[in-house]
Amino acid sequence: MSNEHTVKSYEEELQFLKDSLIKMGSLTESQLSDAMDAVIKVDKDSIEKIIKSDEEINKFRSKIDTQIMNLLVKRAPMAIDLRETISSLKISQDLERIGDLSKSNAKKVKPLPLDLPDELLGNLKRLGELVMKQLNDVLDSYVNKNFDKAKEVWEKDEQVDDLTYIAMESVIDFLSKDKKNLDFSTHLIFATKNLERAGDHITNIAETVCYLVKGEYLKGSRPKGKVIQE
Amino acid sequence: MSNIKIKSKNLDVFYGDKQALFDVNLDLNEKEVTALIGPSGCGKSTFIRCINRMNDVIDICKVTGNIEMDGMDINDKNLDVVALREKVGMVFQKPNPFPKSIYDNISYGPKIHGKGETKSELDQIVENSLKKSALWEEVKDRLDEPGTSLSGGQQQRLCIARAISVNPEVILMDEPCSALDPIATAKIEELIDELKKTYTIVIVTHSMAQAVRVSQKTGFFHLGKLIEVGKTEKIFKNPDNKMTQDYITGRFG
Repeated sequence: MSNEHTVKSYEEELQFLKDSLIKMGSLTESQLSDAMDAVIKVDKDSIEKIIKSDEEINKFRSKIDTQIMNLLVKRAPMAIDLRETISSLKISQDLERIGDLSKSNAKKVKPLPLDLPDELLGNLKRLGELVMKQLNDVLDSYVNKNFDKAKEVWEKDEQVDDLTYIAMESVIDFLSKDKKNLDFSTHLIFATKNLERAGDHITNIAETVCYLVKGEYLKGSRPKGKVIQE
Repeated sequence: MSNIKIKSKNLDVFYGDKQALFDVNLDLNEKEVTALIGPSGCGKSTFIRCINRMNDVIDICKVTGNIEMDGMDINDKNLDVVALREKVGMVFQKPNPFPKSIYDNISYGPKIHGKGETKSELDQIVENSLKKSALWEEVKDRLDEPGTSLSGGQQQRLCIARAISVNPEVILMDEPCSALDPIATAKIEELIDELKKTYTIVIVTHSMAQAVRVSQKTGFFHLGKLIEVGKTEKIFKNPDNKMTQDYITGRFG
């Protein structure tokens, strides 16, 4: 937006909201990445730090909520400002949920044995990397108001579904070899599912960015990959 | 799809050498509220004054182009302006009741238009008009008191009652709430919602939020031109024109 608001403080409040959301986004990215690392490396020392960072993300969420309520009451935003405000509310909710899922994954590290075979973790690692790339791309699309990039992320969730399926299969294969693997395999299945859910929140964000930029919702249903029946 | 009640085509208005409206093409739907927004001096009031030929009283004002109501040319030199204003009532920014009783404020119009020949017919018109403008309960026991003794919000509803007493088809409202407090404003807005079932309403407002609350269609004027017109919801969520967006978001004005 080239023109600035006549009321300077309104301009500053909107900018402050955008900045808060970007900070919350990068915090969520680091947390997701740390949680993935912890699972792959079975690094039990980092669990506490990841749980702590979730508290930070939650604090951001309530801070953003307050900013949005103030904006709605004080400014009654219209058009692009209204879409910006409402989108921030929705995106912050999705980021917070992604944070919860990362925290949940960090907690799953505790019961894992230290000598997990590489073939078991390989697919999970690939899935984690894809979800992280998706989160990074969607946040980029938000910062640059890039409709095409957001739509690309939305479409690419199909790959997240497919990789989830493959990662689940490798855990189940491993589990079926020896019932003694049951306990920690269950945790790995949940960790995989959590990543898939994080992917869904990322597509929500992508939809929100598309609405923010163009003022209309994406039409049609998102391409879906293989899904494990729940 | 609603019927078009009023249609302006290539409408230009000049005050002497100064052109106030440029080629305005705007359709107003029947029994709908159309809000006109835009910065001061953008031509929105000039536009609504074309609908009941209020600009006639300004000597230097010249109107060209076409404006029709139900296919009838409003600018026709032979048109009976009094009959036109019976069909097109108007409510102004500041409540302006006559310095007469509440009763006389309402009965004056019907009397001069030859409606309500007997006292009981007039009584009926006064009661109906006050009921339609949601004022009856508040004033029914003091109809003899001067209209000016009412509060600002009540006076504005009295003016609306006066406008509807002659059974018009269109009501023009030029910033009807700008002098009112939030509660009086809310009452007028609720009334507009009710009145639109019977009348075609055009409201000029500086409050975008009010336009959103009361209207189905919104037109944005700037420097005498109609920049954008469309469904109100579309205009306030996602206008097509950048100038509209800049105006409603408070980026210029």
